[in-house]
Amino acid sequence: MKLKSIFTAASLSVASFSYAQEAAPLQISGSVDTYYKYDFAKVPNIGTSFANDQNSISLGMIDLALKKTTGKASFVGELSFGPRGQYGSLLNGDGTDGNSFHIQNLYASYAFTDKFTMTAGYMGTFIGYEVIAPTGNFNYSTSYLFTNGPFQNAGIKGAYAFSNKVSLMVGLFNDWNVYKDLNGVSHIGAQLTVSPVEGWTAYLNVLSGKSAGAVGTGTVLDLTTSYQVTEKVKLGLNAADYSVTNDGGGYSGAALYVQNAFTSAFSLGLRGEYFNWKGVAEESDEHVAAVTLSGNVKAGGLTFIPEVRFDNGSSSDMFKKKNLNPSKNASQFALAVVYAF
Amino acid sequence: MKRGLFVALLLCAVAGFAQDAELPFDERGKFIYYEVVAQKDVPAAMLMERATKFFSSSKELKLKTVPQDTLWMARGKVVINKTAFVLSRPSGEVGYHLYLDFKEGKYRFWLTDFSFISYQRDRYGNFVPETTVGIPLENKPGKLNAGEWTAYSKATAREARLFAARFKKGMSEQAINPPTAKAVPSVDTKNQKW
Repeated sequence: MKLKSIFTAASLSVASFSYAQEAAPLQISGSVDTYYKYDFAKVPNIGTSFANDQNSISLGMIDLALKKTTGKASFVGELSFGPRGQYGSLLNGDGTDGNSFHIQNLYASYAFTDKFTMTAGYMGTFIGYEVIAPTGNFNYSTSYLFTNGPFQNAGIKGAYAFSNKVSLMVGLFNDWNVYKDLNGVSHIGAQLTVSPVEGWTAYLNVLSGKSAGAVGTGTVLDLTTSYQVTEKVKLGLNAADYSVTNDGGGYSGAALYVQNAFTSAFSLGLRGEYFNWKGVAEESDEHVAAVTLSGNVKAGGLTFIPEVRFDNGSSSDMFKKKNLNPSKNASQFALAVVYAF
Repeated sequence: MKRGLFVALLLCAVAGFAQDAELPFDERGKFIYYEVVAQKDVPAAMLMERATKFFSSSKELKLKTVPQDTLWMARGKVVINKTAFVLSRPSGEVGYHLYLDFKEGKYRFWLTDFSFISYQRDRYGNFVPETTVGIPLENKPGKLNAGEWTAYSKATAREARLFAARFKKGMSEQAINPPTAKAVPSVDTKNQKW
């Protein structure tokens, strides 16, 4: 009798294994992150995205992504829950109540040929070096370029690969970071991708249009590039300029990323950034320089990110001191834990 | 009867374990999958012709040497997936070199120089290579990542065996002269007396 049960269980296991082998796979992946930050002035100072809470063990987000491909068609749906998603990188449903859709990515694609693909929906932006999901960044705190640039672009785009080394994307998009556009599909964007040598990829990006309520047309020009110099050393660069016509302000800046993998489990990365806010109308420009040193300690899907950061601003009241007097400088320590699955 | 069943179960378990084992090392200390296949009475030229046909239909392989040589080399890659029931996600890809050597009535092939490139999710939710430089699969990553690395190594061994089976099928006579397809049975309802 016992033997019969064993055989039944064995047969069932084999059957379910075969089923798993044959079924079209639904990809499910995601991440969770949490952090501790301590600003040495004992007040929250550095205003870039996400790691904002002072002297607190705080939440990032839980991020869940689904992807399914059937033949030439595919979809991606990515949801995030937590301050990094709902408060830090997503607008609420209609922009007025607290009803978040939680959506980071929601789009469908169709590959007409091996070289040409069309995609429509709400997508992570193609502008910039850093991304919203903590698994895509080496440093935990983000750059000013990331914080001031677009996060998502809803729209429709076509991408054509001329060769393995050159491809072009052109699309029509809504205003930045909105689920629906109140002034019509108002932006046009393009991305030229070039991979001149193995390990080096450069993206030349442009996004231009007039957002609802804006004084002028905003155009962002962006260069994002990275080069895997050796097995251990990686370099990255992001440079961007954003201008709004009719003296509507904007920003410009550059960030350099240098990373070295000392072992497969431990890497160090330095980010140096210069960022300039363009003054609106008669206002003068303001700028800030920031240096961030981060470690990445990996154990399976887990990454520990200890980090120190120093920012130096152009005006004496950009940051605060311990006694709340204005300061040109700010510095902070952070320890983040990110798990990817 | 019971003893026979017990032995059968044991054999299944052993076979399962063999499927999950890592590949052996060659004289250079590199993982290798090596096999010599006899194709009695088949000339080397014919074997090369079959191999050419296999390469032309195989997207994941890129031939790097001139097919006139007797020793061929190709580069290939395979994606390693984490799978649980109907869910799956790619963890990374393993690049490898495939070598082929032909003689009259036999050929040999081996897969070696395996290197792993980890995948990460990009801004659009797609999995893409984290870097362009692979880490040799023989490198031990240290205690922190040893479990995952062993899983990659075993998955590579599994994929190498699957590739070998596919390749040998492609090189067999059956692949050149495939059996004619059986007619799908149909029932004629109009010309029947009932």
